[in-house]
Amino acid sequence: MSGSEQLLKRLPNDIGGLEAPKIEQTDHVLLPWEKRCHALADVLDFHKIINTEEKRRGVESLGAEMVGKLTYYERWIAAFANIAFQKQLITPEELATKMAEVEDRWRAHS
Amino acid sequence: MSAHEDHDHDHGSEHEHAHAPIEAAGMPGYYDIMETAFQELMIEKGYIGAGEIRHQIEVLDSRNPALGAKVVARAWADPEFKLRLLENGRTACEELGITFYDLTELIVLENTPAVHNLIVCTLCSCYPRPVLGLPPDWYKAKPYRARAVYEPRKVLQEFGTVIPDDVEIRVSDSTAIQRYLVLPMRPPGTESYTEERLADLVSRDAMIGVIQIKSPVEGAEA
Repeated sequence: MSGSEQLLKRLPNDIGGLEAPKIEQTDHVLLPWEKRCHALADVLDFHKIINTEEKRRGVESLGAEMVGKLTYYERWIAAFANIAFQKQLITPEELATKMAEVEDRWRAHS
Repeated sequence: MSAHEDHDHDHGSEHEHAHAPIEAAGMPGYYDIMETAFQELMIEKGYIGAGEIRHQIEVLDSRNPALGAKVVARAWADPEFKLRLLENGRTACEELGITFYDLTELIVLENTPAVHNLIVCTLCSCYPRPVLGLPPDWYKAKPYRARAVYEPRKVLQEFGTVIPDDVEIRVSDSTAIQRYLVLPMRPPGTESYTEERLADLVSRDAMIGVIQIKSPVEGAEA
């Protein structure tokens, strides 16, 4: 048995019942962009553009490596972008262009 | 990097980053820029309104465990309200002016001398946000999500909570549309308390179910 069937049986989010270390009672105040990202998620849900379950599946379909390496809200924004591409709401080119624009704007103002 | 991030690194490669490393004052990080760009595109294309994100940030900022504490205190003080709360958590909270900004259902789980409730979201981080605000990082991280469902007594012990063996522990796993709130037991020695004073005793963790509310009266431990 190769063990690869475990990959089919458990997607990255499906961790209930797995062994895991002691709980560290951590918390942090959200960074400004993290709070914006949370508000964005709610607004996308209100308009049924991307609902909560679509977001969760979007995070899951990032795959185990990205789920493991990206932070909580990094996973959300990455999932939103992918879902918006799939739904043809925006294109990858548009997002890349807009990101360059945001970056240029920041440089111009600093 | 914050102290608790260092902490997280003990968990090895599968640990959950709670948040991005704090950037040195300077260029916003990649994902920060991505969020801004994504939001601006959504607004430019008319999918969402320009003021909506700002408004929702205000809504998020207005939610915290004090709202849940108010609900719990009312349930302790008013048996009729408690019945309505257990029947339909959402409409009972709305009676107290707590609006639900999403379409989630709220199921309130009553702790009794025979049953202790604990809530979790094994798949992600679903949480009764309209009444408690945003969840703490540990609620969203792997150890709690993975373990709460199969060794709740051990998990509770890590929060300093010891539940006697003859008390049943029920763990409820939240979903995108179904959220839970624990109604803790009213501690002894609070018979004369006003609702406001009762609410002061109710903490976030008690409404998640990881702790019990101690009696404020010395020597009157439940």
